Amino acid sequence: MFNSFYIAWKYITYNKMKTATLVACITLISFLPMALQLLLNESEKQLMSRAVSTHLIVGAKGSALDLVMNTIYFGDEVPELITMEASGQIMESGFALPIPLYARFKTRGSPIVGTNLDYFEFRDLQVAEGRQIAVLGDCVVGAKVSERLDLNPGDSLVSSPESLFDLAGIYPLKMKVVGVLEKSHTSDDLAVFVDLKTAWVIQGLGHGHQDLTQLNDPTLVLKKTESNVAATAKLYHYQEITKNTIDSFHFHGDLSAYPVTAVIVVPQDSKSGTLLQGRYLQKEEIHQIVKPQEVIEGLLQNIFRIKNVLDTVISVVAIATIMAIVLVFALSLRLRQREIQTIFKLGCRKATVVRLVSAEIFIIVLTSGVLCGAMIFLVNSYSHELVRRLVIR
Amino acid sequence: MKDRMSFSIVFIIILATVVCSHAAGEQSEKLTVYTVNYPLQYFAERIAENHTKVVFPAPPDVDPAYWTPDSKTIVAYQHADLILLNGANYAKWVNKVSLPQSRLVDTSSGFKEQYIYTKERVTHTHGTEGKHAHENTAFTTWLDFMLAVKQAETVTKALIRKKPELKDTFHNNYAVLKKDLLTIDKEINEIVARNRAIPLIASHPVYGYLSERYGLNIKSVHWEPDEVLTDNQWRELRDILKDHPAQWMIWEGKPHEATIEKLKSMGINSIVLNPCGNVPQQGDFLSVMQENVNYLKLIFMNQ
Repeated sequence: MFNSFYIAWKYITYNKMKTATLVACITLISFLPMALQLLLNESEKQLMSRAVSTHLIVGAKGSALDLVMNTIYFGDEVPELITMEASGQIMESGFALPIPLYARFKTRGSPIVGTNLDYFEFRDLQVAEGRQIAVLGDCVVGAKVSERLDLNPGDSLVSSPESLFDLAGIYPLKMKVVGVLEKSHTSDDLAVFVDLKTAWVIQGLGHGHQDLTQLNDPTLVLKKTESNVAATAKLYHYQEITKNTIDSFHFHGDLSAYPVTAVIVVPQDSKSGTLLQGRYLQKEEIHQIVKPQEVIEGLLQNIFRIKNVLDTVISVVAIATIMAIVLVFALSLRLRQREIQTIFKLGCRKATVVRLVSAEIFIIVLTSGVLCGAMIFLVNSYSHELVRRLVIR
Repeated sequence: MKDRMSFSIVFIIILATVVCSHAAGEQSEKLTVYTVNYPLQYFAERIAENHTKVVFPAPPDVDPAYWTPDSKTIVAYQHADLILLNGANYAKWVNKVSLPQSRLVDTSSGFKEQYIYTKERVTHTHGTEGKHAHENTAFTTWLDFMLAVKQAETVTKALIRKKPELKDTFHNNYAVLKKDLLTIDKEINEIVARNRAIPLIASHPVYGYLSERYGLNIKSVHWEPDEVLTDNQWRELRDILKDHPAQWMIWEGKPHEATIEKLKSMGINSIVLNPCGNVPQQGDFLSVMQENVNYLKLIFMNQ
């Protein structure tokens, strides 16, 4: 037996190109479906785990997928805005804890997520360095944002304008980085978190400026009557919230009319969740309540449909490859006719030839198996990151 | 005999450990409640007795309505089990900090329609926004004792939500507090019923809810007890007196002696009705309110 393997090994090493081609074909054809399955499983796991842990989401009627993707993964597609009143209604119902979210703005390529402290408790996000957001203008950054932008507590971040051509638009806000979150291996690592009110300041709904009734500089006053003071465009709006400027920051009107992109709903129990869902069934209701799990399951079903097509393609290619491999071996045997005759003349039996060819096939398949195993191991080790980069973001 | 002795000692040690750990457990289970003013601290302490640790961290010499906590105190608020807010735009710092929504209790959210609003007299225009004036909300809601009862009720509900096993205790304590507050309410009503139309001047617009509830005829200036008044301020008072001939001026705190004398020369007596937003130097919320009632008697009984 050992002799057969020795001779097979010698033959294989002599015909390097042929062996390498066969090994590559078998390796790839077995690796591809397995790797695809692995990545799909990981995608499903990642997409579902966050969706499952987010019980319900309330948002504007429209695309449920945009709403869920923006709320859970802070996707680029911003759903129709709703007001804080939606959050207040949920709170008043007593059925659930509402966690409002305003994921609309960006800073240096990362999403700015406006929320309140309940979000951090809900997602179990801990501050690794620095402290939690405390006052207007504070922000905490996800672990990946901190790595990518080399940000530490004490640094600052400036919000990006929504449109490059919005020259007369809202001034960007310089935010103070007060903390870095522990790595959670979720979309939270890629986000910058601020208080909702800070997000409203970024939008220009809250602002800080000099007291108009106390202006002494005549160039700042456009028109002054007994009942109104109109300021010129020269009036300075503060772009940073500091100890000196925070008192001048204010919001106009009722905060319950201020916008958010969604409200994460954490029901007291399943019965409360069901009762709450019932409230959003009326036709005149302007909000929708969605179960992220169902939306993501729908999305995954589409992905699996694509996977079926891919599986079919791979199967056809695999059959063609196997047939080619069989042909290669058959032709190889024909080409090695003289060599086989010599083996017979040396007094070997037909079984010896079978053993030799089997040993060759075994070595080739084994090498392919080892290579395929190593590649699967690599994919498995980096599947989390690969999925994060290729599928989710 | 020796064995019995050893057994007894071991038993006593185990028993002591169990009792101590139980007591420590109870101690650690105590709720921590933070409030934004003294009346809410008083209500929470009366309702929860010793089952909670009620903290009102403002220094004694400030007006909590305009006080801003430092970052260390904000963090303490963030870690509280309950944060009792007065609502009605009291403690403006609340709108400029991050607090956990799930633990915030707006004690006046149940009577928002009863808020008293005042607009700044001068509107302003800047940027793309049209004319606007910042709206001010009167915030000393607890001076209307019916509203104070509602606030105490909200505190009770919030405490029960956190500690349902103490529901009966909280309810009983609330009932006693409610009785005390309604007694004062009744007393004030009886006192002012003699002549609600008596014109009064308030040194500060903090008596809006008191005036609204008890039908008082109050007009306000904006004077601080510890400031020396300017000619303009005296002129403003004279203008008011033209069609509002008040003989009494209500102050939040004791004014300067010179101010009292000058007012006296104008035929106006000064009286202190302490809104009690911060911890009083002597007594408690109820005793201060009782003192206020006695001062009101001075005004209305002498007429």
